[in-house]
Amino acid sequence: MKTSRIWLLIKGELYRLHKYNVLFISILIAIIWGVVLYFVDSVLFNALLPFLILIDATMMSVMYIGSVMFFEKKESTLSSVLVTPVTNQEIILSKIIANTIHNLISTSLIIIAFIFIKQVKINYPLMLIAIILITAVFTGLGLLLSYYQKDFTSMLTNLMILGFALLLPSALYGFNVLKGNAWEYILLLNPVEAASKVIAGGFKGISLDWHYYFSLFYLLIGGLLTYKYLILPKFKDYAVSISGV
Amino acid sequence: MFKVNNLKFKYKNNKEDVIKGISFEIKEGEIFGFLGPSGAGKSTTQKIIIKILEDYQGEIKYKDKDLKEYNNDFYEEIGVSFEMPIHFSKMTAMENINFFLKLYKNNEDVESLMKRVGLWEDRDKLVGEFSKGMKIRLNLVRALLNKPKMLFLDEPTNGLDPTNAMILKDMIREFKNQGGTVFITSHIMADIDQLCDRVAFIVNGEIKEIDSPRNLKIRYGKRVVLVEYKEDGKTLSKEFPLEQIGKNQEFINIVQEKEIETIHSGETTLEDIFIKVTGVKLDNENL
Ligand SMILES: Nc1ncnc2c1ncn2[C@@H]1O[C@H](COP(=O)(O)OP(=O)(O)OP(=O)(O)O)[C@@H](O)[C@H]1O
Ligand SMILES: [Mg+2]
Repeated sequence: MKTSRIWLLIKGELYRLHKYNVLFISILIAIIWGVVLYFVDSVLFNALLPFLILIDATMMSVMYIGSVMFFEKKESTLSSVLVTPVTNQEIILSKIIANTIHNLISTSLIIIAFIFIKQVKINYPLMLIAIILITAVFTGLGLLLSYYQKDFTSMLTNLMILGFALLLPSALYGFNVLKGNAWEYILLLNPVEAASKVIAGGFKGISLDWHYYFSLFYLLIGGLLTYKYLILPKFKDYAVSISGV
Repeated sequence: MFKVNNLKFKYKNNKEDVIKGISFEIKEGEIFGFLGPSGAGKSTTQKIIIKILEDYQGEIKYKDKDLKEYNNDFYEEIGVSFEMPIHFSKMTAMENINFFLKLYKNNEDVESLMKRVGLWEDRDKLVGEFSKGMKIRLNLVRALLNKPKMLFLDEPTNGLDPTNAMILKDMIREFKNQGGTVFITSHIMADIDQLCDRVAFIVNGEIKEIDSPRNLKIRYGKRVVLVEYKEDGKTLSKEFPLEQIGKNQEFINIVQEKEIETIHSGETTLEDIFIKVTGVKLDNENL
């Protein structure tokens, strides 16, 4: 693995996020959410901000990497990268890192705006860790998901279904429809739930209990294992299957 | 350069082998052609020897070492042009080229390459606004970026007008004259005939014949001499076998005594030979 080459690839990815208007769209969405949050009262705001950060770092990460993958699929550009000295590992890492940087920018925009407008108490290092970790993990999951989707539309549809399925149990538990301690543990295995725990830790005044640490390491280790055993080894098959050239 | 021995390949979703045990060699410094109809397995073979498709059977050696032992540095030495455009449409030609250029150790002079294929003026245009022919020409620039020792060209002139096709063929010849080796696939007979030192006929995943176009013509062509001459104010014509033509008294008499209008040796085209050898037509409108 060559650092200089990864850096070139990351720059290329970021440049294309800009050229293909993904960057513009994500900043636009951040602004829209900002405006919405500005007008809600403070009780709702305190509940909504963590939720928006969660959606941004999870679902939006999957969507952005999905759009990148399908742009490339349409233009067969991956074939052209495959016949360079670049390794698969470098290709994947550069995509994950570039998209993490990109999402960090849009999420930070929301947070920064509210530090000035509303009195939000953020634990900066922990929030930074939370966003980087969650975005990286979900970008990886998005990459994996995109290997198995025909086109962007089917990816979006499945993402909606998957997102709903992942959020529903947590919501039901929150509204006391699901009762009992067992659920508390089962739900922790849900990566979206784990992400929400880690984001909550990024706000001041939240005590960091074992749920937090469990979720943090769950995402970290789970992310690394998924990368090693699924995202990386399945990449070549995927790249070959779309190289209809 | 490359030695391929008993190569077999099956796509995951297919039942049958697409490549059915082919063997051939690409010698250093030659232009080696793969000629065959659509679906014969030309692109598949190319994708195997450039290490994109991996689960093949048989043996492939590059410079006497098994292809599977090479890592990605293999690509420093080879240039690939695919059948279809492979560029980022929302970036300019130059942005595309510069992105790929930096991924290699060796860099070709881009300006002269782009000028050569006639794209220098359009270098700041988005590739999405390029015509099909322009994209194909950009593919060749892309393939030559890293000063490769070996070029793989999948249908390089497909979709080009005659002038640009000629420029591309000249560039391929120049590449060879500077010591490069070329593998080229095509179903356009003229390209193969004009460019290749040796050609393999591939049909249905099998190689039916390998030789130089010249030898193929000698072996399979009708070896005759056709003479048209004047006699009593009329034009007559007669065919003679090429063997022992100097001892053919009737031929000698005609040449000595009659007013000759034309003499041709019976040239069978490569396409005729292809049909004769494989029993299959190349079925292509470009012929
Ligand atoms: N990705 C794939 N999955 C399954 N079968 C494939 C795939 N790609 C090609 N094939 C099959 O393999 C055979 C050979 O295809 P290939 O693309 O190598 O032909 P070709 O000689 O390059 O044809 P053309 O002149 O049309 O480019 C065809 O029967 C084709 O249907
Ligand atoms: Mg082909």
